[in-house]
Amino acid sequence: MATTLYSVSDAISSLLLGAVGSIFPEPVHGWLTSTDVVTGLAVLIFCAILLVASMINTIMLIWFERKLLGRFMDRRGAMHVGYAGLLQNFADGLKLFRKNTFMPREADRLGYFTGPTAYMVTSMILFGILPVSSGWNGGSLPLSLLLALAVFSFAPLFIFVSAWSSNNKYSLLGGMRSAAQMIAYEVPILLAVVAVVILAGSFDLNTIVLEQQNYWFWGPLVVALFVFFVGMLAEMERIPFDLPEAEAELVEGWNTEYGGMLFAFFMLADYVRALIGSLLVVLLFLGGWTMPSYVPTALTSFPLAGIFWFMLKTYAVFAIFVWIRASLPRVRTDQLLRIGWMRMIPLALLSIVLAGLVVLARCLPVFGCVPTLGG
Amino acid sequence: MWVNMGPQHPMTHGLWNLKVRIDGEIIVDADPEMGYLHRGIEKISEDRHYNEVVTLMDRTCYVAGLSWETLYITAAEAALHIEVPERARWIRMLTDELQRIGSHVMWYAAFVQDIGLMTPFLYGMRDRDLILDLFQSFTGARMTYEYNRVGGVRNDLPNGFTDRARKVMDWLMPRFDEYDALCLGSDIFHRRCDDLGRLSATECIDLGITGPMLRSAGLARDLRKDRPYHRYDQVDFDVATATAGDVTARYLVRMEELRQSVRIVRQCLDWLDKHPGSVLAQELPRWLGAPYAPVGAEGYLLKRRYPSGTGFSAVEEPHGEAQAYVVNTGGEHPYRVKFRSPVFANMSGAKSYLVGYHVADIPPIMGSVDICVGEVDR
Repeated sequence: MATTLYSVSDAISSLLLGAVGSIFPEPVHGWLTSTDVVTGLAVLIFCAILLVASMINTIMLIWFERKLLGRFMDRRGAMHVGYAGLLQNFADGLKLFRKNTFMPREADRLGYFTGPTAYMVTSMILFGILPVSSGWNGGSLPLSLLLALAVFSFAPLFIFVSAWSSNNKYSLLGGMRSAAQMIAYEVPILLAVVAVVILAGSFDLNTIVLEQQNYWFWGPLVVALFVFFVGMLAEMERIPFDLPEAEAELVEGWNTEYGGMLFAFFMLADYVRALIGSLLVVLLFLGGWTMPSYVPTALTSFPLAGIFWFMLKTYAVFAIFVWIRASLPRVRTDQLLRIGWMRMIPLALLSIVLAGLVVLARCLPVFGCVPTLGG
Repeated sequence: MWVNMGPQHPMTHGLWNLKVRIDGEIIVDADPEMGYLHRGIEKISEDRHYNEVVTLMDRTCYVAGLSWETLYITAAEAALHIEVPERARWIRMLTDELQRIGSHVMWYAAFVQDIGLMTPFLYGMRDRDLILDLFQSFTGARMTYEYNRVGGVRNDLPNGFTDRARKVMDWLMPRFDEYDALCLGSDIFHRRCDDLGRLSATECIDLGITGPMLRSAGLARDLRKDRPYHRYDQVDFDVATATAGDVTARYLVRMEELRQSVRIVRQCLDWLDKHPGSVLAQELPRWLGAPYAPVGAEGYLLKRRYPSGTGFSAVEEPHGEAQAYVVNTGGEHPYRVKFRSPVFANMSGAKSYLVGYHVADIPPIMGSVDICVGEVDR
């Protein structure tokens, strides 16, 4: 049986409980090593591994972006804390953690504190949904893609709540822009995803990846990939679509009034969403953890090879996001919305048509396929 | 809804407040408020010796200190009836043009930051550093130079300076093409900047707007050509103009001015190589810091009557036309010093080029004005 995230945490759990149980007399020992307790602890360990891995990845993502941006800009990025500045972000996080948590006098208490927390939580939940390798996911759901996108699109609500409750004009403007932008780009993203679903015949991310073992979907669905990529740029609020926090006119946009750990929540959640966006691009279009068959098996069969390739692809996709950030100015709100509604949606619809054509073409006798939808 | 953009706001590039009334995202009224950085430089000048005012000039505009030094010092020399050695005039022209390059590159960095470009910002700052290094090599300072003296400049250029400066110019020229590629090559840049903050030449004249903003509206008004000071009548250069009068046009004008400045700098360097000589007038009174006075104790207290007079000078400063008026009543301090700041006029017209555009357009439009609040408030 292949190692999965659950089997690993189960092994750790039984090992731990066996060791701890051995020092206790019989009734306690028996209870500690019973299946229920082992499974319960295994689930907790499972969650802890997921949380730690995703947090470390997120923080490393920030480091990766800082170093890469530095190189683009003819400088070196973080250098001094840890080797090549690897620990710089941990130091920054610690600094923010130590800061005072404050609230503007006229702000709405409930919204002010709930907004960033909920934003952070809904972003983190996604790590439990997305698989990183076969078996390495929180749970295999038949509609995991739909669930992931649904959770992903919670964000504008909480951004708007925190912006409105900050009682600041810049925050309010930023929050409104953010909501408008995210809602406008949800639509093309979902339509582009529909193209993928048509081709894969499933909403299950595992199945979508398995369907890509023969050919990655970016080939036939290059239009959908483009729409999805641009939409993700807007969802992540990165340059050129970072107007909700457009520094030049709106100070910091919707998080102007936030400081300390609440600001860190926003910052971290932004990068969590950036990571999720890159993961989704890889899962839906770049074959997930699979590699083409012409890659030597030695390169794809070592332990955790799936995760390795998957993360490599993810970071490569993120590098493109960083590249875009380093080289483009930001667009204006009305231009952004016009691009979203007038350009992206027709393109997304086109990609659905293309996906349908590909499914039909697969049924041509040349390819010898079974003529079923998503076959 | 009135929104205060400033005094502490990333858009302002200094300490001022732009009050805008917005309807949704559209600007319906604008009211720039200046005065947060007023230090009373004109009044302080009345209490300083002629050479001491130079230190205040560096603080007037912190990105174009040497331009303001030469502006003041030319007026002061006219008021004191002092002739300046030829070499000092050329050095002043050289420093003015180097300062223009430094200021425009700084403007480029700040402007692209306003429209969200991060990389060119650091490229601009990187290249400005080279100019600052050049300044440091002959003035000893990077921002507050205190280099000009009544009757010339403090010291001659160091050995090997001209070669070093030529190398910097050779490095900069391809960088300007790189700047253009990063901005003009981007479709988003054109979407953000074309047809933005439009001003016709007539409106510019009515509002007293000068400098690159005026030239971008199609009027080839440049004091270096129209009213040559220093030795601008002896160098070859073209006045950069554009026709559109929008933000992109202002960008184009400044980029062209950078290239023309490099051209002038090269001519200055050639001339300076061929014509060694004194850089400070020899027949100065002791209290004006004659060359034989010990440095630091330049006999300021030796009071002497000096024929009274007034001096006026106008300089094409990187931001526009700066003017200075110095009244000398024979004492050791100027009786009155008055400056005309180009940015003050350029900024004051904010309402006429902001109304009707979006809130998101404020940073590029105000960025294209090239604001230096130090000289606005003085």
